[in-house]
Amino acid sequence: MKGILDYVPGSSFLHRLNPLVKLLLAFVLCASCFVTGNHFIVLGVIALNLALAFSAGIFGRALKMLSSLLKLSALLFLVQIFFVREGQILLQLPLGLYITDLGLSFSLLFVLRLLAAALPLGLMLSVTQTSDIPNVLVRKLGLPYQYAFVLGTAIRFIPLFAQEMAGIMEAQTARGVEFDTKNFFKKVALLLPLCAPLLVSSVRRIEGGAISAELRGFYLRGRKSGYKDYPFALRDFGALLGGACVLALAVLF
Amino acid sequence: MIELKNLGFRYSGAERHALDGISLTIEDGAFLGLIGSSGAGKSTLCYALSGIVPHHYRGDFYGELLVEGMDSAEHRPEEIARVLGCVFQDIDGQMVASVVEDEILFGLENFGVPREEIEGRVAEALAAAGISELRCRAISDLSGGQKQKVAIAAITALRPKIIVLDEPTGELDPRSSRRVFETLKELNEQYGVTIVVVEQKIMLLCEFAKRLAVMEEGKLILEGEVREVLQSAGRMEAAGVNIPRVTTLARALREEGLYGGRLPLNLEEGEKMMREVGLSC
Ligand SMILES: Nc1ncnc2c1ncn2[C@@H]1O[C@H](COP(=O)(O)OP(=O)(O)O)[C@@H](O)[C@H]1O
Ligand SMILES: [Mg+2]
Repeated sequence: MKGILDYVPGSSFLHRLNPLVKLLLAFVLCASCFVTGNHFIVLGVIALNLALAFSAGIFGRALKMLSSLLKLSALLFLVQIFFVREGQILLQLPLGLYITDLGLSFSLLFVLRLLAAALPLGLMLSVTQTSDIPNVLVRKLGLPYQYAFVLGTAIRFIPLFAQEMAGIMEAQTARGVEFDTKNFFKKVALLLPLCAPLLVSSVRRIEGGAISAELRGFYLRGRKSGYKDYPFALRDFGALLGGACVLALAVLF
Repeated sequence: MIELKNLGFRYSGAERHALDGISLTIEDGAFLGLIGSSGAGKSTLCYALSGIVPHHYRGDFYGELLVEGMDSAEHRPEEIARVLGCVFQDIDGQMVASVVEDEILFGLENFGVPREEIEGRVAEALAAAGISELRCRAISDLSGGQKQKVAIAAITALRPKIIVLDEPTGELDPRSSRRVFETLKELNEQYGVTIVVVEQKIMLLCEFAKRLAVMEEGKLILEGEVREVLQSAGRMEAAGVNIPRVTTLARALREEGLYGGRLPLNLEEGEKMMREVGLSC
């Protein structure tokens, strides 16, 4: 099964960027959304993300990410919008609830930020080989390999986690548990007991991975023993410059 | 060479021993199949061979295990790993990389293999496992059989003298299972690698393994050449191990006094037996 964050092989501009630059770029794009208060800049970042995804041949995946993020955002949007009580009242609802212009603007920004900040991380993971992240952090930034590796593994386990959860839910559904219930609390009550088996099977997985890594000399690895070099190329500087421009726009407006 | 001398292990908290007084010698160049019902202690034996038992799992450990002369109680698992590579049951959990090439590089980089040697080793390991064309593929895109071969290549790249595999065909269909065993055979015959493989499919072991070891409740109950071990088919069945149908048939014919030749292990030999008996099929 292919997870939504799994690496997609390719040789596009994004794929060929230095992994460190990819990390930085994702971070800069996230940061831009939080320093700016301008809806259009945030929308622009989302559009930029989609364009980048298109260039890397993962447009379909980006849309899928966007749609699953949208479901979460819709919920947050509804919660947020009733929370803000300042500003002019646009719509009066029963139960003392009302929507203000400030609330609308604030919630919209909040949700857009969420989308724009999550997308670059998802895209970055899709175009970066997992082991490149720890490798480049070790070689270029001098991070101790063992810490860098743990970081890389944590990232890799997100999709494995999701897969495990899906497997457990499937098994429970086969036993007659209905997860498709409309009642939110009932759903939580159904899902909670699954956390224990999920934890057990994940811990077992992680333990297996740790043992296999140790048997392949994980603890012997020094800073110098990397095979790949990760040299910076012209395109890397170009990409960084582009990122800097987005950030500058975000700060100015 | 691997020597087990009265080896025993009980996981802390467990009531009975997972390994119970096992004595066994595995010669260089051997192809040993290890069989036994579930819970017999096969995986624990693999852990012991790689040094994970007693270094990782706590428990009572007794007896002695020598891998190429190294006492497993004294040497760390990563030292043993230089001569003995392991592929464990949960194949997905063992992968550390997202791309095949990186998975192979992982061990080579860790063990500090010189740069100029690395490329050759990667190419050779991929070729030996028959997966050269998968080099740049994402691991999550591969089938179970292909992943199994990646795991094998990641180990062979380190050039161990011995490879231990725990149920490598557990989740594979018959054809991919055969391919994995063909890869093992090639490693054994072309490269002289000693193979120890836990396997439930007795027909595969009959075809590929040279020796067979049968475990029951932590004990080693039978060990020897495949045909020799199958003479004790009754004992194997009592231990919950399937035996090939032709072998069962031959035993039935023997009991009737109709057949006195050697035990057939596969269909071809079974056909020969039937001709000898005088029934054509
Ligand atoms: N981590 C563990 N902790 C405690 N007991 C274990 C552990 N792993 C296996 N066992 C027990 O040890 C025995 C042998 O298990 P195992 O070696 O996995 O058998 P096999 O691989 O032949 O199915 C079983 O009784 C099992 O319950
Ligand atoms: Mg087992």
